[in-house]
Amino acid sequence: MAHNKQVAVIGTGQTVFKSHHPDRTYVELVQDAAKQALDESGLSPHDIDAVIISMAPTVFMGVNDADRWAVEHVFGANKPVMRVHTGGASGGSAIQAAHAHIASGAYRTVLVVGGDRIAETPDAQLVLNLIWDKFYEQDFALTTVTMTALSAQRYMHRYGATEEQFARVVVRARRNAMRNPHAHLKGEITVEDVMNSPRIAYPYKRFDICPRSSGACAMVVSNLEVAKSQSTRPAFITGVSSITHSVFMGDRMGLWSENEYSDYDGMWRAAKHCYQQAGVVDPARDVQVAELYDPFSTNQFPQIESLGFCGRGRAGAISDDGGWDWNAGGVSISPSGGTLCTNPIGVTGLVRAADAATQVMRTAGEMQVDNVRHAMATAIGGSQQFYTCTLFSADHN
Amino acid sequence: MDVFVLGMAVHPPADVVGGKRLEEMVFDTTRAALADAGVKRAEIDHVTIAASDELDGRAISSMLLAMPAGAYLRDETKCTDSGLTGLCLGAMRVASGVFDIGLVVSWNKTSEAPVENVMRMRAEPFYTRPIGLNMAITDGLFAGAVCERYGITPEAADAQARRAYAQALRNPRGMGRAAPTPVAMDASPYVATPLREIHRAPFTDGAVAMVIASGDWLSKSGGRRAKARIAGLGWRSEPYDLGAERLAGLAGFRGAIDDALRTGGGLTPADLDVVELDAQTAFHHLAYEAALGGWGAAVSPGGGAFAQNPYFCTGLVNATEAVRQVSNAAYGVQVAGARRALAHGAHGYAQQGHVAVVFEGV
Repeated sequence: MAHNKQVAVIGTGQTVFKSHHPDRTYVELVQDAAKQALDESGLSPHDIDAVIISMAPTVFMGVNDADRWAVEHVFGANKPVMRVHTGGASGGSAIQAAHAHIASGAYRTVLVVGGDRIAETPDAQLVLNLIWDKFYEQDFALTTVTMTALSAQRYMHRYGATEEQFARVVVRARRNAMRNPHAHLKGEITVEDVMNSPRIAYPYKRFDICPRSSGACAMVVSNLEVAKSQSTRPAFITGVSSITHSVFMGDRMGLWSENEYSDYDGMWRAAKHCYQQAGVVDPARDVQVAELYDPFSTNQFPQIESLGFCGRGRAGAISDDGGWDWNAGGVSISPSGGTLCTNPIGVTGLVRAADAATQVMRTAGEMQVDNVRHAMATAIGGSQQFYTCTLFSADHN
Repeated sequence: MDVFVLGMAVHPPADVVGGKRLEEMVFDTTRAALADAGVKRAEIDHVTIAASDELDGRAISSMLLAMPAGAYLRDETKCTDSGLTGLCLGAMRVASGVFDIGLVVSWNKTSEAPVENVMRMRAEPFYTRPIGLNMAITDGLFAGAVCERYGITPEAADAQARRAYAQALRNPRGMGRAAPTPVAMDASPYVATPLREIHRAPFTDGAVAMVIASGDWLSKSGGRRAKARIAGLGWRSEPYDLGAERLAGLAGFRGAIDDALRTGGGLTPADLDVVELDAQTAFHHLAYEAALGGWGAAVSPGGGAFAQNPYFCTGLVNATEAVRQVSNAAYGVQVAGARRALAHGAHGYAQQGHVAVVFEGV
C-alpha cells in the first residue's frame, strides 16, 4: 500500500468504566477520554482535522443524537464531525471510518471518540427489545440475551461445547481484567461461582453476561507523516473489514443457507479480507493478541475460530488447556478482560480497538503481552449481524 | 478526488408513501440505482448507509434496512448525520483504496416520523429541553437572527417562498405543488415569529441511492460511463448551544463550502454553475444566499426542498440534482452548459451541521 495511504494510532484514552458516573454528564465523560488521547498523542485540539463520534442507540441516555451535544466538548466545533452507528459494532465501524478519512488523503489527523451510559435506563434489555420488529418480534421477549442464547445453543449442539467451558472463559476474563485499570468487573472467581450464579436464559447464568457500563474512550489517528513526528511506536491500521449479515437469524442456518449462524461466518469473511490487506497468512502464528467483542461468554469460541486461530469446534478444548490465557505463548485473548467485564455498548468496539492498539504500542501497562506485532480487534452489532475486524500492526503495509 | 457517480435513483416523492413499508422503498430505490448504473449487486464491494434511528422509529434501524440497501454480506457502515454526509463517507471509503465500487443509500419516511418530537428530544435534559426547544422554534430563532444580521425582511421571505414553489413546479421530479396565492400567504399561521408555515418546505417521504466507483475500477469496467466526478467535499459542525453568532454567523455553512472548493483542487465560487441548497425555510434560503455573497451560480433551480423534502436525505436529493445538472439531465430545470455543481445539505437543530459536495461533469 502506498505511503500516503498509511494510517496509524498515535494516542488512546479511556475513563474508568462502572455502572454510574453520577458526578459527570455524558459530554464530560467523552471530553475526559478525548483529552487523554490528545495528551498521549502530543497533539492539541487545534491539530485535529476531523472528529468521528462512536454512538449506538441514544435511547440508553434519553437524548436523541447525543453526539451533537458533545461536539464542542470533544473539540469539534466548526470542524468536520460525523457520527457512526452500527449498534454494538459502532466503535469498530468508527475506527474504520477514521481509516477512510486518513487513507483517502482527505485529512491528516482524526479524533475518534465515544461514550455511553447504559445504566441510565432502568432496563437495557427493554431498550434492546426495541431493535426488533414491532409487529412480529418484540412481543416474544427477544432481547440480545435470548438472541445470543439461541446461537450459543446451536454452537453447543454442533460442537459439543459445555456450560463449564463457557464458565472458564468468564474466569479468565475476570482474572485478566484485574490488570486493567479501566475495567468494570474484575476479580478471582471460580467455575463453580459462574455455574451457581442465577439462571437467565439457557445456557446463560448471570456471570456469563457482561455488565451495563458507563464511560468513554478515544483514539487519535493520523497519517504516516504525523505519526512519525508524534510517536516512536505507533500502531498501524493494516486491515479494516466489516461484513453485514441478514437480520433474520433463521435465514442463516439450515439446508438452504449459504452460511452458518452459530459459526459467525460474517466474522470469518471480515477476518479473511482484513488479513489479505495486511499480508497475514497464518493468523495463529502471526497475531499475538485479539481483543474480542464478547458480551457473553459464548461469543469467544466462534470468534476465535472465525479469526483463524484454530479449527472449527476446537476453541473450547484449547481454552480448557489455558491456550488463550494471557501471555501463555499462543494468541492472548482479551488481555483487558474484554467485553465480558466492560460493556459501554456504543463505544465498546472502540475500547476493543484501543486495547489492541496499546498492545502494539507497548503502552498496555500490566496487560502488556510480550512481543506483539499484530493485534486484532473485533466488534459485533445488531442480531449478531454487523461484524468488524480491525488489525493493528507494528509495521505498516 | 478520483471517485465517480455511476448511477442514482430517487424514490418518487409523496406526502405519504402509503402502499409500501420503508424497506420496500429502500429496496426499490437501491435496485433502481444499480439498474441506472448498469451494475449488478454482486459487483458492489461496500455500502454506506445514512439514516437516523430516531426518524425511522426503531433502534439500530439498519438491522432491517441494510439488506434492502444491498448490504447483505457486503462491507457496510452507517452514519447518522445526513444523507449527504453518507456520500462524503462513501467517497472517502472509495478514495482510501480499500474499495472499488459501492452504494450510498439514505431514506426518510417523514410521514411516520414525529420530526418535532425527535428534535425536541435532541435537547439535553438540563437546560434546553425544559424550555421546549424544537425544530420550529429553533428555525424561528434562526429566522429572527438572520433578519437582524442580513437585513432580510418577512416580505422578502414571502417572495422567496413563492419563487421556490414556482421553481419547484418546473421540476419534473418534484411534488408539483402550485405556488401559494397571496391570500394563502396572508392566511398562513405563524409557527415561531417571524417564521410562518408558508415559509417552510413541507416534508415528504423519500429515499435516495447512488452508485459510486473509483477511477481505477471505471477504467477496467469495460466501457461503463460515469455521470459525474466527485470533485470535492466538506462538512462542518457548529457548536450545540444556540446564540446569535451560532444562529446567524453561518460559520459551518461557509466552512463546509470552503472545504469542498479547496478539496476540489482550489476551486473558487466562480467555478460553480449551480448550487443546490438544503434550505428548510425561505429565511434559510435567503440567509445562505447572503452568505454566498452574490455568487454567479444558479441557486436551487429545481426549487430545492420545496420540490421534495425527505428531511434527513434532502441533501442527497440535492446531490442527485447536481449530478443531473452537470450531466445535462436535469430536464425542465437544466442550467445551460452547467459544468460544476455544488450540493448542500444541513442537519441538526438550527442547522448545527452543514455538508457540501462539488460534482464535475465528465
